[in-house]
Amino acid sequence: MNVELLAVALLAGAANWAFRVLPTLARTDRLAPGGWLERFLSATGPAAIATLFVAAILPELTTDFARLLPVVTGTLAVLAVWAASRSVAGATIAGAVLCGATVWALG
Amino acid sequence: MTPSRPSFLAGLAASLPIAMGYLPIAFSFGVAATRAGFSATEAFALSLIIYAGASQFLALALLTSGAPVLVAAFTLIAMNLRHVLYGPALMRAAGKDGSTRLAWAWAFGLTDEVFGQALGAMARGQRFSESYMFGLGCGAYGSWLAGTAVGAVAGGGALQGWPAVSAGLGFMLPALFLALLLSILSRRQVPVIAVAGAVTVAGTLALGTTGGILLGMLAGAVTGLVRR
Repeated sequence: MNVELLAVALLAGAANWAFRVLPTLARTDRLAPGGWLERFLSATGPAAIATLFVAAILPELTTDFARLLPVVTGTLAVLAVWAASRSVAGATIAGAVLCGATVWALG
Repeated sequence: MTPSRPSFLAGLAASLPIAMGYLPIAFSFGVAATRAGFSATEAFALSLIIYAGASQFLALALLTSGAPVLVAAFTLIAMNLRHVLYGPALMRAAGKDGSTRLAWAWAFGLTDEVFGQALGAMARGQRFSESYMFGLGCGAYGSWLAGTAVGAVAGGGALQGWPAVSAGLGFMLPALFLALLLSILSRRQVPVIAVAGAVTVAGTLALGTTGGILLGMLAGAVTGLVRR
């Protein structure tokens, strides 16, 4: 085992554990109910999901029609299946299937 | 009637879209790690210990370029600073059901996608339970480890003959984030979402993906401070 790789992995892994676990255990969400921290934290979730969606979709946006079309059809499939079923899993899988099917159809 | 607390199996079932999205990414990581000269065991160890996709790809780039251990480690640590916000946001959504007895274990699995899935489920009226969080986390973590192992053993080019499958699997995570976004969409959160999205685009163009993500989240959360 590469010692440098193991050292980096252990340091980054320990920090990841601390970032994910310690704020949860500290229950910082209980501080100042109705105050600025509560509003900040309640907006964090939607802000995070919006950010992650934008970050995930940005690299897919291109002027190349053949690469863009699967993204467009996949996105429309997610919207359509969500509107019809309100199912996160169903909408996700439909988007992936239609994206792949479009790539297959374009050859 | 108050709904019952979701079980471990319910969490495992809810992890399916995440697991399907993780497989190709983890597979790609396993391939990239072996291509960069690391063994299959070392690739697996990175996924097992770090368990953060973008950080792991960056770790490969830093270590193969000869970056000092501390520089590489602190770069990876800075990338994942955003995870500090996830646990408290989840506990706030959990309300009186919020329990942290076993959080030392399940909260390690709070990746972007697991956090989003759990928050989306609670926004749709589901109650919080640590069993559900374990199920959700185990499905995602297991898929990440399995994908890495298969990728590391298979080596490069395994999906090259299957472009449609590769494209579909690659679109799984953007599709999941969009579906999650739709599931939590409300009139009250529209300004938060709009600001977060716009700042992410600007931040990504100016500073790169990591800077864009961090700025977008902070800008959206700060927008939530404005009383309406």
